[in-house]
Amino acid sequence: MVPLSWYLVLSFMLIGLGAYGMMVKRNLIRILIGAEIMGNGVNVALVAMSLYSPVFTFTGQGLIILIISVAAAHTALALVLMLMYNRRYDSVDLGKPIEMEGP
Amino acid sequence: MLQEVDFSSFEALEFLLIAGAVLILAYLALEHKEIVYSAFFFGFMASFVAGFFLLLEAPFIAGMQIAVYTGGISALIIFASLLLPRAQDSSLEKFATPEKRRFGLLMAALVVVLSGVLAFIFPWAESFNESFIEISNDLNELAIWLWADNGIFVQMIALIMITSLVGAVALLKMDKAEQLATVRGEFGVEAEPTLDEPESEMEEGPPMEEQEVDG
Repeated sequence: MVPLSWYLVLSFMLIGLGAYGMMVKRNLIRILIGAEIMGNGVNVALVAMSLYSPVFTFTGQGLIILIISVAAAHTALALVLMLMYNRRYDSVDLGKPIEMEGP
Repeated sequence: MLQEVDFSSFEALEFLLIAGAVLILAYLALEHKEIVYSAFFFGFMASFVAGFFLLLEAPFIAGMQIAVYTGGISALIIFASLLLPRAQDSSLEKFATPEKRRFGLLMAALVVVLSGVLAFIFPWAESFNESFIEISNDLNELAIWLWADNGIFVQMIALIMITSLVGAVALLKMDKAEQLATVRGEFGVEAEPTLDEPESEMEEGPPMEEQEVDG
């Protein structure tokens, strides 16, 4: 069986990649993709820790079901917020409001 | 012949293959120049992550991952990139400053290191003894956990989902109403100039009050 540490290392790499995308990118859609990648990393870590825990419970899997449901809702909301942002600033650049208002 | 094969090594090989594919696809989803291709790469990455759930004996979660992430969320992202033509602007892919990129990389590394410290250095990590794993793959038990033992949380999540979706629709309607308020006239929203009434003619004539005074 694959050790738990392998899953944890992989999930941390996914979380790090997502954090990189969220902190460095200017495009709102890429920032959303970064957030989803982070969420996937957390999901892998939760299911792995649930399986490898001393007493097996369905807590991890049940939590993942709830997390995936909320992820779908927040992505729909993020899409609407992006549309509103694009209407207001005519761009999906995160730095646009700062450029318009000045330092 | 098959009995001599070590299946645990196959599992490790599967893990390494899926991990490599997931990491490469995640990097491409963040760094590819075309945003539509990025959304496709994200969808593929989400389906490969479902492979981890199959390795972890959670087939229901794997199915849900494919249905929601690959089928729903990546489709939403593709819609977003098609609805927002500005999202395909290549100038957005250039970093504002090298310092900002370095700062982002540093913060991402910090997130990874702190997560690693939490997972590997804290004493509770020792309680995960891999020799006492009991895999229970019973979907009935999962359903009982979800609907009988923790049904209130499922209802709360349903409430959060419907609130967010109704809120999203309300936000769009409010934004549209604000835009229409600027062109709302005597006849309501129909007061916008049509093709038969060009704007130039309306602007050329003097205002109504001035005409009455002159008469």
